[in-house]
Amino acid sequence: MTAVVRPAGRSEAYPDRGTRSSATSKVATSSRPAFGAMGALTVFGLFVALLAMASLHSVLVSGQFEFDALQDRLEYGQERSQVLREEVARLESPSRILSAATGRLGMTPPPNRLYLPAVVPGDPLRPLPGPSENPFSLRVR
Amino acid sequence: MATGTGRGSSRDLLRLGAQKRLKRRILLVGLIFAVLSGLLGWRLVELQVMEPDRYLERGLAQRIRTVTLPAVRGAIVDRNGVDLALSVPRRSVVANPGMIEDPAGAAMALAGVLGTDIDVLEARLSSQRSFVYLDRQVEDEVADNVMALDLSGVYAQPEQARLRPGDGSALALLGRTDIDNNGISGLELIYDGLLSGTNGEMIVEAGLGGSTIPGGEYRVEPAEQGLTLVLTIDRALQFEAERLLADGVEAAGGKGGVLVAMRPESGEILASATVTRGDDGVVRPSTEHKVATWTFEPGSIMKPLTMSAILETGTAAPDTVREVPDSVFVHDSDFKDSFPHGTEQWSVADILRQSSNVGTILWAQELGEEALYRQLLDYGLGSVSSLGFPGEARGILTPVGKWSGTSLPTIAIGQGVSTTPIQMLTAFATMANDGRRPAPTLVRGSLDDGGVFTPTQTGDQIEVVSPGIARSVVSMMEAVVSDGTGTQGQVPGYRVAGKTGTAWKPLAKGGYGEDRDEVRYVASFAGFLPAEAPELVILVVVDEPARQTYSGGRAAAPIFSDYAQFAVRQLRIPSEFERTGLDQVGRVMATTPARAFDLQAAEETALAVVG
Repeated sequence: MTAVVRPAGRSEAYPDRGTRSSATSKVATSSRPAFGAMGALTVFGLFVALLAMASLHSVLVSGQFEFDALQDRLEYGQERSQVLREEVARLESPSRILSAATGRLGMTPPPNRLYLPAVVPGDPLRPLPGPSENPFSLRVR
Repeated sequence: MATGTGRGSSRDLLRLGAQKRLKRRILLVGLIFAVLSGLLGWRLVELQVMEPDRYLERGLAQRIRTVTLPAVRGAIVDRNGVDLALSVPRRSVVANPGMIEDPAGAAMALAGVLGTDIDVLEARLSSQRSFVYLDRQVEDEVADNVMALDLSGVYAQPEQARLRPGDGSALALLGRTDIDNNGISGLELIYDGLLSGTNGEMIVEAGLGGSTIPGGEYRVEPAEQGLTLVLTIDRALQFEAERLLADGVEAAGGKGGVLVAMRPESGEILASATVTRGDDGVVRPSTEHKVATWTFEPGSIMKPLTMSAILETGTAAPDTVREVPDSVFVHDSDFKDSFPHGTEQWSVADILRQSSNVGTILWAQELGEEALYRQLLDYGLGSVSSLGFPGEARGILTPVGKWSGTSLPTIAIGQGVSTTPIQMLTAFATMANDGRRPAPTLVRGSLDDGGVFTPTQTGDQIEVVSPGIARSVVSMMEAVVSDGTGTQGQVPGYRVAGKTGTAWKPLAKGGYGEDRDEVRYVASFAGFLPAEAPELVILVVVDEPARQTYSGGRAAAPIFSDYAQFAVRQLRIPSEFERTGLDQVGRVMATTPARAFDLQAAEETALAVVG
């Protein structure tokens, strides 16, 4: 058996402690569920808020990313349109057509030019005759 | 009891010692924490209070990216919206020589791709500078090949290159830009401010990888793109003018030539071509816009102007007849006609049809110096036109007070006076426009990004001669083409009014040359059609044609005819036959975009007036 020596002054305090602990346990017994629920709710709320913020942020980031990508596409499209516009103008230029006709295609200027009338069909004075047969059909002899 | 007490006291002592040590340690740790906190606090105060700007700037510099949004130089388009000059994205190959470890190796690798001399590249790559251009505005394929070499310190930098899809066509008119897209000549220079636009700026907060930080700093000052310049020129007419003029000058054995076409009612120039024979003997479009910068003595194309003054002042009527000898002596000189003839009874109209120098001089003497001088000034001779072209000449029309005894007869027949092609064209356009002088213009207006067209302010028209007198001169000029010196200027299906000119060209040493081999000519033909309602005025000048074809009727008139035949179709100007019954239902003229625009604008104006 071990004898426990306690300071005289302190031995009086034990009943108090026992009293306090029983009081605390009474309070704890009544308020613990409320604190727990509130704590859990707070943690849950915090979690939800953080999740919402994270989601919002991810939406923002992905939106910004999409915006940047669209802006890049717009710039590229504008540049491409300029390049194509230049190419169209170059391909349509009379000098290129003339050099292609006389060079690659081996065409020669006609000895005489026949100009068509500037008045379009519908001329009641001198209507243009319609094609007598389908000009696009191929006839095999 | 004593033992117990002794043991207890030693324990107490030990406990007390431990507590003291603990306290000291706690104190020490607390002190260390306090010092550390103090240091941190001090640093915090230093960062946040004492010099916050420095670190704010540093932080911003790391995150904030300022991107210049370059303004794209506006295009130059013809009257139908066809691109004549435009800017396209290109890349320039640049380097930071400080980052290149082996300049010789890099130069060797780049030389093959860029097609530049190795030594030149090596010198640039060995430079002490932090930025050098290796090649500017290269094709995309070249830039891609350079980047595929993966050389550290070598980059491709985006730029805008100015291109003319029609190659050298209208080059003298359009002008050039330097490598940095600043206009340095021609219309590129005149309208540089309008074409350039203003650069914009984008300030954006970017993360480590360069991606934009959402919700961060984002400010955009958009670039103001350069406006599109809409010319009065028609690309097809311009190309054909250059082609036919080059062929015509070649056929005439000339040194060069000018062809310029205008709408008389509006002063819009439809084509403005200049060709010169190069050192290699080939005639090709010139880089100088001689229509405005070159001066020449016009010769007989001046006579309709003199005649209009004679008619306007009432000195004579078109059918007034006078005796015209083969030659006339004035002051100290003998003036002859270009062909021998006896003394004839010619009307004013006959004199113009035959292009008689003597007849014109005799009537000019009755007109007087002052009246002729005033009339020529009113036609715009001796002053720059409204084109405002760089280097435009004003020609030489000596004030009447300084005229010599031979000035009147020589000026009356187009010698001793120098004009630019645009001045003579405008003078003929005046007659075609019922005596009202139009302000020549090369620009219809400007077009912004949103497609809003702003027309240019056209200059006021000045009445030079009355409409009746103008029509009389036109009738006389019709006879020149139908039955006079300008028969080769006829255009099948159209009534043409015109005048030939064969001027002596002043030599550099002075005078016109003593013997026949020394004399040089300038052959010209100015005319318009349809004579009954002129829609197109054309001037053709051939500089120094060969002796066989030196006259305006043989060197210049055929070029006029060929060009006019093409131009009337391009501009949808109906022939005399086509014009008959054009107002009937079902008969419609084919049209061009520019003509459709004009018709729509006229319709809107009419509606606005009615409203």
